Amino acid sequence: MTTMLVSALNETLFMVFFSTLFSAAGGFGLAVLLILTGPHGLRPKSRVYAALDLAVNLLRSFPFMILMIALIPFTRLVAGVAYGSAAAIVPLTVAAIPFMARLVEGSLLEVDQGVVEAARSFGASDSQIIFRVMVMEALPAIILNVAVLAITLLGYSAMAGAIGGGGLGALAYNEGYIRFRADIMFCAVAVLIVVVQCIQSGGNHLYKKLR
Amino acid sequence: MREMDLHLSLSARGYSDIVQPMITVRNLEKHYGGKSVLRDLSFSVQEGEIFGIVGRSGAGKSTLLRCFNGLTTYDGGSVQVRGREVGALSDAGLRELRRDMGMVFQDFSLMSRKNVFENVAFPLRIWDAGQSRGTIEARVMELLEIVDLADKRLERVQNLSGGQKQRIGIARALALNPKILLCDEATSALDPDTTLNILELLQDVNVRFKLTLIVVTHQREVVKRLCHRMLLLDKGAGLCLGRTEDLFLDPPEDLRRFADTEYTFIPGGLNIRVMFPRAISRQAVITDMARSLDLSFSIVGGKLERYRDHVLGFLIINVACEHVERVCSYMTDKNLPWEVLADDHDACQRPE
Repeated sequence: MTTMLVSALNETLFMVFFSTLFSAAGGFGLAVLLILTGPHGLRPKSRVYAALDLAVNLLRSFPFMILMIALIPFTRLVAGVAYGSAAAIVPLTVAAIPFMARLVEGSLLEVDQGVVEAARSFGASDSQIIFRVMVMEALPAIILNVAVLAITLLGYSAMAGAIGGGGLGALAYNEGYIRFRADIMFCAVAVLIVVVQCIQSGGNHLYKKLR
Repeated sequence: MREMDLHLSLSARGYSDIVQPMITVRNLEKHYGGKSVLRDLSFSVQEGEIFGIVGRSGAGKSTLLRCFNGLTTYDGGSVQVRGREVGALSDAGLRELRRDMGMVFQDFSLMSRKNVFENVAFPLRIWDAGQSRGTIEARVMELLEIVDLADKRLERVQNLSGGQKQRIGIARALALNPKILLCDEATSALDPDTTLNILELLQDVNVRFKLTLIVVTHQREVVKRLCHRMLLLDKGAGLCLGRTEDLFLDPPEDLRRFADTEYTFIPGGLNIRVMFPRAISRQAVITDMARSLDLSFSIVGGKLERYRDHVLGFLIINVACEHVERVCSYMTDKNLPWEVLADDHDACQRPE
């Protein structure tokens, strides 16, 4: 059982780590675009903002299971195969980008507008304002956003078992629930609890340090 | 004539921009959603002067200030800063303009995650253009000496008091050696003592660096202490413009309403406001008057205030009807400006 747990944990961490990495990057970029073009942004462009806003909402409306199945052709295109842990990273990332974008957008909107105006008043450019003022000021909050993102992806990754993604969720369901192995189920869930705890306290620790 | 000669000789030497005003505003208009925010404003600000923009909240003061450095746009008229039309500048031109104009904010607007040093250094880093670390450090320390906070350089800004935060704000605004300093309610969030402190600092940088200051405020004390000239704004329109001392000594109706001096008048008799201009402010005029006329009167209220470097003020006295004529002629003889205050309880015939 220990070997099963260890390999499942490895698969889970693999999926969560890379999908968090990619969706954090993508979500951050999308959030910057939303902030830039938003109604109170540095370069308000209502049409661009409305389109991005709609796209984000659409993607977030999909139940993850459905999205994952709908994305199979795309997954095959990107990953070469449609099943396995590596392939699961594709739908996980696509699903998490709009989620992360909203989280980061919220954190950037929280930045004191006075500070932004002060930066403009001494001649900072738009990119300097976004990256050297807003992002720097919001950095602790963005770190917490990443922790929330990783934990959400941990939950999603359990569903990725459906396309053969493997991992702790799949182990708990396939081996534990279906085959009446309560011990495996409990152990898998216990390991998941520990992972969630680790991610959250890691995030909190960084937040306190950076604040 | 002399002024014209000066102008000619300077232009002949190519220094014509010296006699040009720092900022010239002509027929400035701004609307916001169909509402007029600034209406037909025209005035100019001279190099080296401290110019006050005064009015209640919502009068358009801060909006006007932001027209100068292009933080907000305007819909009509012209704003020229050192000869350049602000509304016509490109993005790059606007950034160049802002480099020459520091700005100080009511709520300080410092970056909360950076320490004192980094906050002051930030404008320098934005414009770094090959400045070495040593130059930035030397400049920041010089600025922190000016605002007297060198010992706090590694402190986080959250741990500082309001007055200290504003000093950091001023140091940051001075970092790029601006020609003009814009102050948006710079003392409104501070207690009276700290306010005086900040005003002294602003006065100091005005003199030391020959800096032109534009000060937006709703605080009368600030205008009086600091500003050479002032513009009173109400609902986006300019009500009066002139030297601070003249305007407060003989306030036009609009300014008097802003000045908001409320006194409970004594019923009966006549309430008279006696003004103390510069030449008279040191003499004991009121007691002299009582002694030489051999009569008594009540003092309703009054105020002696510092207008920049002079003590000036007014006193409201209540005079019994039968003495009004003597008192008024005494004051006229002594060249004391006076006026009868309109009041419902006014029982006497007004002297003609």
